[in-house]
Amino acid sequence: MKKISIKVNGEMYVREVADSRILLHFLREDLGLTAAKEGCGAGECGACTIFLNGRVVNSCLVLAAEADGSEIVTLENESKDGSLSDLQKFFQKHQAVQCGYCTAGMIMSVKELLLRNAKPSVEQIKDQIEGNFCRCTGYSQIIDAVLDASGQLDK
Amino acid sequence: MNFDFDYCAPQTETELLDLLATTKDAVLLAGGTDLIVNMRSGLKKPTTVVNFKKIAQCHQLEFDAKKGLVIGAGVTVNNLLENKVVKEKFPVLAEACHLLASHQLRNRATVIGNIVNASPSGDLPPVFLCLDASIKLVSKKGERVVSLKDFFLGVKKTVITKDEWAKEVIVPAASADAKGDYKKLTRIKGHDLSLLGVAVVKGKGFLAVSVNAAAPTPVLVGRYAADVSMETVLSDILAKISPIDDIRCSKKYRLFMAQKYAKDIMKELAL
Repeated sequence: MKKISIKVNGEMYVREVADSRILLHFLREDLGLTAAKEGCGAGECGACTIFLNGRVVNSCLVLAAEADGSEIVTLENESKDGSLSDLQKFFQKHQAVQCGYCTAGMIMSVKELLLRNAKPSVEQIKDQIEGNFCRCTGYSQIIDAVLDASGQLDK
Repeated sequence: MNFDFDYCAPQTETELLDLLATTKDAVLLAGGTDLIVNMRSGLKKPTTVVNFKKIAQCHQLEFDAKKGLVIGAGVTVNNLLENKVVKEKFPVLAEACHLLASHQLRNRATVIGNIVNASPSGDLPPVFLCLDASIKLVSKKGERVVSLKDFFLGVKKTVITKDEWAKEVIVPAASADAKGDYKKLTRIKGHDLSLLGVAVVKGKGFLAVSVNAAAPTPVLVGRYAADVSMETVLSDILAKISPIDDIRCSKKYRLFMAQKYAKDIMKELAL
């Protein structure tokens, strides 16, 4: 067992974890933060995407022990006091959510892009979400949501 | 995970090398994008997992006109891809990085991991082979620098011994400003391994060609004088690669595409 202290969505947690504990399982089962999903468990689908020290990563491929001392942000951080963030609202507006399984990871990936590039091109958006599978939307609604969120969509 | 191991995160190189010298069954954890997949599937069951990324110097990424480009073991693929000097002086390397996996994976996957993993289809080895890169291996007994062309022994096999740490990749300054391309045959961008990949790099007085996914190891076809003929390169490719038929691609298609990509890049370079 290892004792880890980590900051998740601005809150400090100190917990004991098994050395082999996967960060995604720790977030979901120990902290009850179930937005990040387990899809493939092998870094292919991106449903488990979270921010780890400012960068998006597949949390299914990170050991909880390794996240000791780090700062994590998950989709739970998006909505405040029960209301959706702007980015979430744009996803809603463009129907970029259907079954919802990919959405938590998708929004994390898109958020990272928008933080470093306020007006991404369609190519740059596609590049950013190449590791996030969506089997419902066909991606075009998601791309529209991001273009709209960055003020690039004419009405 | 359905088994447990000891996780260690040494803070210094000395601590790390002691651990490697004394622990029987330790594996090094870099980005984990391969190791953790293999552990979760039960393919690998180490008793000790050693994360070296707390060692500050492993994140070094520097270019020096004498030493060349030094890439520490903790440098991620995106670190390299986003680096200004790399984009400027080693554009082919940046291009190959961009073709490797997806954005999230590149945020974790390390450059050195893609090399020491010794997968026949690794995306970065062909470009590093063309750039005449070497790997610095350190252990308690000392250090050695191995040229990448002598580094791979077989599928997932390298010259690294149990007590050694692959500390950095070094690209000589003489390879800076080389132009070229890495072309990768895949079905899907972002999720696919190379079915066949070719790097052709033209630098100060040389032209180098390398191929992946066409033999048990990445193959350096040759480092030639800059004016080498297309015929020589194409016949050397056929002589030096030994692709197989497998679930991803046929031997025939690999042989064809290796030549086609080499031809395409050489034509681009001649413009």
